[in-house]
Amino acid sequence: MLKNIVLELTGFSLEVNAEIQGGVTAIFGPSGAGKTSLLDLVAGLRRAKSAFIRLDDRVLTDTEQGICVPARHRGIGYVPQDLALFPHMSVRRNLLYGCRRNASENRQFRFDHIVQVLEIQPLMERGIAQLSGGEKQRVALARALLTSPRLLLLDEPLASLDAKLKARVLPYLTRIRDEFRVPMLYVTHDRSEALTIADAIVVLVNGKVAQQGGIQEVFSRPANLDVAGLLRVETIQPGRVAQIQDGLVRVAVGSTTVVAPEQNLSARARDVFVCIRAEDVILVKGDDRPSSPRNHLAGTVRSIGRDGPFMRVEIDCGFLLTASLTKQACEELALSPGDRVIALVKAPNVHLIPR
Amino acid sequence: MIRPEEWQLVWFTSWVSALSTLVILPFGLGIAWLLARYEWRGKSVVETLISLPLVMPPVATGLILLKLFGRRGPIGGFLHDTLNLDVVFTWRGVLIALGVMSFPLLVRSARVAFEEVNPRLEQIARTMGANDVRVFFTVTAPLAMRGILAGMVLAFARALGEFGATIMVAGNIPGQTSTLSLSIFQAVQLGRDADAFRLLGISVCLAFAAVWTSELLMRRRKRLV
Repeated sequence: MLKNIVLELTGFSLEVNAEIQGGVTAIFGPSGAGKTSLLDLVAGLRRAKSAFIRLDDRVLTDTEQGICVPARHRGIGYVPQDLALFPHMSVRRNLLYGCRRNASENRQFRFDHIVQVLEIQPLMERGIAQLSGGEKQRVALARALLTSPRLLLLDEPLASLDAKLKARVLPYLTRIRDEFRVPMLYVTHDRSEALTIADAIVVLVNGKVAQQGGIQEVFSRPANLDVAGLLRVETIQPGRVAQIQDGLVRVAVGSTTVVAPEQNLSARARDVFVCIRAEDVILVKGDDRPSSPRNHLAGTVRSIGRDGPFMRVEIDCGFLLTASLTKQACEELALSPGDRVIALVKAPNVHLIPR
Repeated sequence: MIRPEEWQLVWFTSWVSALSTLVILPFGLGIAWLLARYEWRGKSVVETLISLPLVMPPVATGLILLKLFGRRGPIGGFLHDTLNLDVVFTWRGVLIALGVMSFPLLVRSARVAFEEVNPRLEQIARTMGANDVRVFFTVTAPLAMRGILAGMVLAFARALGEFGATIMVAGNIPGQTSTLSLSIFQAVQLGRDADAFRLLGISVCLAFAAVWTSELLMRRRKRLV
């Protein structure tokens, strides 16, 4: 639990109030948002003007009471962005550095087990300079886990790796999440990373918590335009509420109308932004037959581009809508620019943000 | 070829220089670490005080030490009265003169070495449960070892050649406080050029050995890091 945190940083101050449950919580924000400073504060490596930090039922920092548990007694594992592996020690000595004597009682964090899960055995006698980027990452993770932490702080663990390596290291992170069940604070500015690994998310914008909640919840219902932009919700279009009836809102967007449930419209606003995630858009070719999604938007394919394993299709259907399809789906539909398609979007997937 | 009293001279100069380096080592590293890692009040004053012996005439530094450690001086008087220890004109005087003169060199290189150690490594070591002492000996010092060794060699070399402060505090008592440099000076003064040249040769060998050893040590460190 993080409460009343005021961190004075150069140029601005970071204010955070967040109750964080177990599992993986992504701390999401643009670079320079003070994410690393926040982790440092939680780890006890930095002091804040005001802060209250509690882990389970132990108060770690309370500036009002003058409590500040030293970093070495916090039981928090920290993998910083530069990993901070000790260059003068072998992998084995790095791993053993923080190994608690009581670790053998805690079967979860046994040395052999961690080494096996992260596949470090063959690296054991090497020096840090002889490791590749992905190997270093795994050693740093193992070293933090070997301290039997009650909370793991990961600072952009994949940011320094290229796409190929990212894909190789990410499964280890999910393995750690599922195998060791350590709560994690995971700092990132990469949405796909956050979506893959995190259960919850705290979005920082301009030094404040702009939104927090379950990861799906936040991604499909960004609280405001800043959050939507930061999370790169693909379609964000201005619209105007035309009608509210039977719990449904009709919103005029461009030259067409979309339907959303009334609870998606906060604060009875008239001018809104319509947000639709690309993966919530279904494309159909041919006749517009009746189907369950409320929004049937006829349009033409404007462009098709690759986006990792997916294809990103832009459709002009009175406004510009982005859809995300698998490559296979794209091939089966034989989509090419200029084709007429129908875009289907279920009403609950249309999110409205007041303008 | 080399006379016994010259051997004694070499032996005395080497061990008193080595001892002075060892004596100042813990203080030097401590202060260097404080200077490198923390901001505190009076830091600049301490920095300046430590560097003074580098820029002041050694004889002037020697005079200050003579006044401080003399039997009627504040520190010397105390040592004489309570421990019955005399400093001035004894080997202890030589030790103190050498230590004070070489201290800034040790502190300077150790400080630069500490500053080059990534503080992140120390912080992360702390999150892994290490206290400050363990962090220093397992992370900071090993990573700064090249700079520390270089500082020790510099300090030792400075001590080997020290003249001005030593002659003020310890005089030049043959067999007791005479060092190589003092003896070379004396030999030249007395017109015994052959003696002076022999002593000169010895100092060259000694300096060579010191620098060579340190190079070897550092090469071994480099392979490790």
